[in-house]
Amino acid sequence: MSIQEQYKKRVRELLSSGAVKMVIGYQAGTTADRRRPLFIRTPEEAEKLVLDSACIANLSGYLVTEGLLSDEKSVGIFLRPDGIRSINILAAEAQLNPEQVVILGFDGNDKEVTALQGEKARDFSAIIASIKEHAPEAPRNPQLEQIEKMSPKERFAFWQAEFSRCIKCYACRQACPMCYCRRCIVDSNQPQWVNTSSHTLGNLEWNVVRAFHLSGRCVGCGNCDRACPVNIPLRLINAKMAGEVLGAFDHFAGMSETQEPVLASFKKDDSETFIL
Amino acid sequence: MTRILLSDKLDNCVARWRKAGLTVIGPVKKETSSSYATVEKAADFDFGIVLPDRSIKGLFFPQTEPMMGYTIKKQDIATNDFAPPTEKRIIFGARSCDASGLAIDDPLFGWDYKDDFWFQRRNETVIVTIACTKADDFCMCTSLKLAPDSTKGSDVLLRPLQNNKGWLVEELTDRGREAFKEIADLLLDGSEQAAPLAVVPEKFNLDACVAWLKNPENFDSTFWKEISMRCIGCGSCTFLCPTCHCFDFQDEGDTYSGIRRKNWDSCSFSLFTMHTSGHNPRSTQSARWRQRIMHKFNYFPGKFSVNSCSGCGRCTRQCPVDMGITETLQAISTLKP
Amino acid sequence: MSEPFEPKIVAFVCTYCTYAGADLAGTSRLKYAPNVRIVRLPCTGRISPMFILKALQKGADGVLVSGCHPGDCHFTHGNYHARRRWTVFRALLEFTGIPLERVKFSWISAAEGGKFADFMNSVTEDIRKLGPFDQYQGLINETEAPATL
Repeated sequence: MSIQEQYKKRVRELLSSGAVKMVIGYQAGTTADRRRPLFIRTPEEAEKLVLDSACIANLSGYLVTEGLLSDEKSVGIFLRPDGIRSINILAAEAQLNPEQVVILGFDGNDKEVTALQGEKARDFSAIIASIKEHAPEAPRNPQLEQIEKMSPKERFAFWQAEFSRCIKCYACRQACPMCYCRRCIVDSNQPQWVNTSSHTLGNLEWNVVRAFHLSGRCVGCGNCDRACPVNIPLRLINAKMAGEVLGAFDHFAGMSETQEPVLASFKKDDSETFIL
Repeated sequence: MTRILLSDKLDNCVARWRKAGLTVIGPVKKETSSSYATVEKAADFDFGIVLPDRSIKGLFFPQTEPMMGYTIKKQDIATNDFAPPTEKRIIFGARSCDASGLAIDDPLFGWDYKDDFWFQRRNETVIVTIACTKADDFCMCTSLKLAPDSTKGSDVLLRPLQNNKGWLVEELTDRGREAFKEIADLLLDGSEQAAPLAVVPEKFNLDACVAWLKNPENFDSTFWKEISMRCIGCGSCTFLCPTCHCFDFQDEGDTYSGIRRKNWDSCSFSLFTMHTSGHNPRSTQSARWRQRIMHKFNYFPGKFSVNSCSGCGRCTRQCPVDMGITETLQAISTLKP
Repeated sequence: MSEPFEPKIVAFVCTYCTYAGADLAGTSRLKYAPNVRIVRLPCTGRISPMFILKALQKGADGVLVSGCHPGDCHFTHGNYHARRRWTVFRALLEFTGIPLERVKFSWISAAEGGKFADFMNSVTEDIRKLGPFDQYQGLINETEAPATL
């Protein structure tokens, strides 16, 4: 039985037994290579489910939709390891109760996907630990290396060119499972820290703030990067910051439901070479 | 006998227009993103793009534009107004849907208050549209009763030649004829055939959709919640749309100096309708998506007798969760009015 | 001859240590560079990275941030949190090409009036050598906002 059929069966079981009130998965999209999020509420609707290598969006952001989990019923959700890490972070930041999340895990490459064993986020801790272990030797984005080699002036010019295209649609923020604030800093106008206009200065401020708020929280799912309608390489900044946080504080986002957020915790012997 | 512009003459045309004081703009691909941008020579154009990622709208209604500045000194307050730009431009290689979008928004920007910033730019810009010979899975102009060679909003329409060596020229307006006078001697007479137009299948029955939307009972239909469940509330569909026109005024500055700007805004944002009291009449994403569809196909045509959609398909093409007008109207087509 | 360049420097300091240190420098009649404008805050933990960005954007040539030595925080660990935040923020500034050498961090206690005066002098000298911060100027001009006073 293919993984897709296996999981269809599992979804039907979960829904008909009442173990979950809804399963969030994928269905066919407008074109052959696109998948759309699917909300399955009856066993019959499970027929629409599609699970293959084109299912790449991290769906965990839907779990923090207002009111979805407030009735204390469980919700099933299809997640790759990065999505499971998102659940851990959302749980650690008290945005959801991980007991209410039934994970239908899968992983794979651009050709095929395989099922991951487990149900609750903590069942996948061994998988996440091994990802962390292999993080330092994982192949780095060649563009990232290229940017690191630039002089500060060149880097500034590079990012200005990228950010000048930004139209401030905030698709990056909305697509990100970690951006759950009811009122984002850019929407606050007393005081107004970020220029709301999408001139390059305002775009720079927005993108720096976004990257800072995701430092040590980003799991690298790429939702922001894919959502950007003007193709700003947002994942480069996120990847860079994740690397910095791992190097400086040995912090790998989303290890467990109880992991302390990196910028809300400290060690007395944290490095401080730059402080005079 | 029709007149023909050969592609190898385009470099000369660009030079002529630039010499005549026109800024030449066309479809350009830079790095990973395409848009209508300034070109200096024929090689800068990229006519292979089915449709630039960003619509033509921003050239007439920029994403951010200064309106007024102020400086407060010890004794007095100085203000300065910004006037609409007087730059003369020619957009060579616009798409029919984008040009139609401008014509759709014209009545909106002029019905009670005439927006000088919009009309000044409209009057000073010549739009040369190239009919589409290629379309992708998202194009839907035919469903909106437009076509790959609609002339709406264009000053000149070019039809690509079958041999791909140039275009048949159809001058449509005085503004277009004026601009093409500059290059009159570069045009040839010929009898070549135009290449076949792109085939854009009709995706939904517009009349059936409009009838359903007009029925007041359907305003509270559960359909809206179902169809918009996966909407994440970003504004990319509205910002890329050639006809979406909502804007907001923002003051940026401090006690001593600052600037008032007109910025794009989006009905997809929850803050769009948020009252100071905290009450939000469109508090859910489904209400916001309903507003977008209703506005485009019910309220706007009710006021200006034209649908506020030109069928470019950008809303679906760039949607992070693969939603869009096409899917919604297809679903409405199947409902009872 | 044109006026010599006098840098504008904004210092974000905590009230319990560095501000008291500045006070001590004053009451001890120590002379230090007048280029520094001090903004007093309850704790270094209160210093948002936005302050630093905004200062640079509003015309500061340099920014310095200072608070209690580790272990001395009036709120027990505000400076530890701040330290992590700065580490991350510095990496971000570096990656986006905003010059790091214009943003300085230090620990100065209430007893270190001398260190405060010396630090202000050395930072002023460093920034003076770097010259005016004009990297943002193009972006500010693009906004067409009237010049700030």
